[in-house]
Amino acid sequence: MWNDLANLLFLAYEQFSLLPLFIEIALVLIFVAVMATLIAYGSILFRRYNSSVYQRRLAHLSPIIEDLITEQVLLNENLGKDIPVEEIEFDQHALSNKAFRKPAVRQIIIDTLIRYRKNFRGEVGELLRKLYIDMNLVEDSFSKLRTFKWETKIKALVELTNMDIPISDSMLLPLTNSQNPSLRAASRNAYIQLSKNEPFKFFDIATEPILPWDQMEMFKIITTTKDITIPNFSRWVSYSNNKSIVSFCLRLIAHYDQRTAIPSVIDLLQTKDHQFRAQAINCLGQLSAEIAEEKLVTIYTSQPLNCQIEILKAIGKISSGKHLEFLKNEFLYSSSFDIQMNAARAIIRHNSQQSRYIITDILENTNEENQTIVKHCQNPLIKYQ
Amino acid sequence: MKVIIDFFSRGTFWDVLGIFFQYAVFLYGTSLLIAYGILAILSLASIRRYMKKNANVDYNIIIESPLAPGISVIAPAFNEGVTIISNVRSLLTFNYPKYEVILINDGSTDDTLEKLVNEFELVQVDFAYREKLLSKPVKRIFKSTNPAYDKLVVIDKVNGKSKADASNAGINVASYDYFLCTDVDCILDKDTLIKLIKPFMDEETSTVREINGDVQIQEDYKRVIATGATLRMVNSCEVDDGLILRVRPPRRILPRFQEMEYIRAFVLGKMGWDRINSVPNVSGGLGMFDKDIAIKAGGYDSLSLAEDMDLITRMGAFMTDNNKKYSVKYVPITLCWTEGPTTLKVFGRQRARWGRGLAQLMSTHRKILFNPRYGRMGLIVFPYHFFYELLAPIIEFLGILFYIYLIITRQINWPYAIILIVFVYTYSVMITTIALLWDQITFKYYKTWGETIGLCLMAFIEPFLYHPLIWFFALKGYFNFIIGKKHVWGNMQRQGFNAPKKRSTVKAG
Repeated sequence: MWNDLANLLFLAYEQFSLLPLFIEIALVLIFVAVMATLIAYGSILFRRYNSSVYQRRLAHLSPIIEDLITEQVLLNENLGKDIPVEEIEFDQHALSNKAFRKPAVRQIIIDTLIRYRKNFRGEVGELLRKLYIDMNLVEDSFSKLRTFKWETKIKALVELTNMDIPISDSMLLPLTNSQNPSLRAASRNAYIQLSKNEPFKFFDIATEPILPWDQMEMFKIITTTKDITIPNFSRWVSYSNNKSIVSFCLRLIAHYDQRTAIPSVIDLLQTKDHQFRAQAINCLGQLSAEIAEEKLVTIYTSQPLNCQIEILKAIGKISSGKHLEFLKNEFLYSSSFDIQMNAARAIIRHNSQQSRYIITDILENTNEENQTIVKHCQNPLIKYQ
Repeated sequence: MKVIIDFFSRGTFWDVLGIFFQYAVFLYGTSLLIAYGILAILSLASIRRYMKKNANVDYNIIIESPLAPGISVIAPAFNEGVTIISNVRSLLTFNYPKYEVILINDGSTDDTLEKLVNEFELVQVDFAYREKLLSKPVKRIFKSTNPAYDKLVVIDKVNGKSKADASNAGINVASYDYFLCTDVDCILDKDTLIKLIKPFMDEETSTVREINGDVQIQEDYKRVIATGATLRMVNSCEVDDGLILRVRPPRRILPRFQEMEYIRAFVLGKMGWDRINSVPNVSGGLGMFDKDIAIKAGGYDSLSLAEDMDLITRMGAFMTDNNKKYSVKYVPITLCWTEGPTTLKVFGRQRARWGRGLAQLMSTHRKILFNPRYGRMGLIVFPYHFFYELLAPIIEFLGILFYIYLIITRQINWPYAIILIVFVYTYSVMITTIALLWDQITFKYYKTWGETIGLCLMAFIEPFLYHPLIWFFALKGYFNFIIGKKHVWGNMQRQGFNAPKKRSTVKAG
């Protein structure tokens, strides 16, 4: 039989080799296309099957895991009895369920514990953490951290951070400068959350940028993590060579109203990067740095449009009243619509007798276009414009 | 060389032309199929990268963040009186902390504006309108007196006979740095703004390199100028109050083909282009743009029939002309559901407009084609669209004529001809099936495997039923472009979304 098959194949090959090249190519590609289509169909069905198996398994296991957490943690009789959490023991029989040994099940337990821990703080939160440690799930997370796959490392970092498990600097700090932006961001977030003494240490060694999305994540972590030591961010504004770190620190300075940082921020007005300078001016405005107002007005004429707009906004926020005439002139004589809008807003923001007088004067004695701009800025319904 | 000369000198002119045509078409077809194969591989890489990168992202952080950039949602409306209230309500419920909804009443002749004024308690405001982009005159601008609708701005303008004109008016009023353009009748995912703004925030902010001391400064980073996402048909989905409750492939055959085509174009096509930073366009139904660059590039061209691709082309050209690096990003997940034409008449009008728009675009921006100065756009995007999108229907048409000629003159080698047809057929089925597999990898939108496989099976009949239609209407569009026939915007009768049938008319090309 094998000989017959071999002969048949040989004959087929002989016939095939007699065909023109483009027909040979077409036949090969027909075979490839048919096989690829069949594989694609198989994959679609297999993925759906796998997904439904997982859902079924999840549906079966979830109640068991939920019961475990409820019995061992939420309804633990030692809670509220002034017994330190570290001394509370779990029912080892419940923990040694055979099903809990499978990696996929252990992952479901970790995910469930994280979900619970996001909702429970205090003693319950600590007991959830202890359960994570006692079930040796912490080792699962650390083994993920040691893999080469960056996405698995990120998963590990998220798990360890949520469970508040310290990671050594030697392991974590190098990751904060990873070339992979996602891993870099996850490790930086983990560092801030886990390092109790010097959460911003990586700012000193960061050579890679903090991307805008990462800044947002980090901002949330910094502003919501309890017991975090907030340093004076001006030190990085003055000395960091990493522009994204300086940019982020400017936002933190404004958020924490660190007025002692004002001199460092004023120094930044010398920078050649106009976007960066605009950010420094914005920060001075948010800090209501009256001390910087004179300097801002002095440099105004030599600035590009975005910095001029930020200066006008800053003067409006500072509202010292010393530069209302400057604002009025900018409004009346500037050819830029954006400058006029921001000058008008800055004058209105002063909300002083003098500013109100200027506004009345504009409304009574200037052209219709100027009046519309002022009315636009005064209208409380136009919130965002 | 001698062999070739001998070969050509033996036959008549028509024989030589015929043989040349056969080989040219074979090479053309093979290169097109190779291009699709490459796109399929690139799109998988792109999708996997997106999925891995965003697997652990907590999108909710942006909802509370003071650092979230503001976004203006721009939605032109023309005679949408029947559905306008629910459409606007839907737009006002995005999960995002800082956005405004700018609705442009583009000279509606029905009660669209009246309904908006009554429902949202609108009053006319003294608005300092500055025309940065050309549009037909703006008559009035309204804001709501009800704080619940403080995000809403309504512009009432003279009809500009195009979405582009209305969108330009919206951009002029937009107060934020990014704007999202959509059609008011599209159903958008509540997380659309979050998902589309993220690619803008995943790029490094200005990294400035100093050159020549302290005066000249060169920006040295890749700026994301636009983002887009996959669109799907809403036709048979279950919708309640602007929310998609259940995704289903359309039951009617025409929208069902369109669903399959959209998945192939977005999940396989756009994601493949995304991998090599060559996304040719962002759909008019859903796209987010960097306002600064869009304005500098001149905004939408109200005379263009492919205004979405035209805008991206001009934004890209602007960046290149100013020696700035840029990218256009795509996300593989579906964020927008739109109603596909269900009648051949409306469908044909739409596709003829697309065909005409492509021809118009290639003609308008011909300086970009093969121009190395425009980098990928000049050497990849435009040549691809020129050869494989613009010329494809023409070559196919000539090919069919040639086939008929060979059959009539009994010159055809039937076994070989059948092998070649089977080759093209199996390859096209493979590409579509792969696109649907990639879509499944991204997210399982369809609840049952029957719905998924049912859609996959459409690939087997597409070459016989749907493809000839696309081909015919594209040629019709080219013909209209060549003879300069005036384009007329038609009406599309909306079917409603699994709700009591309502009648409304909107622009459809």
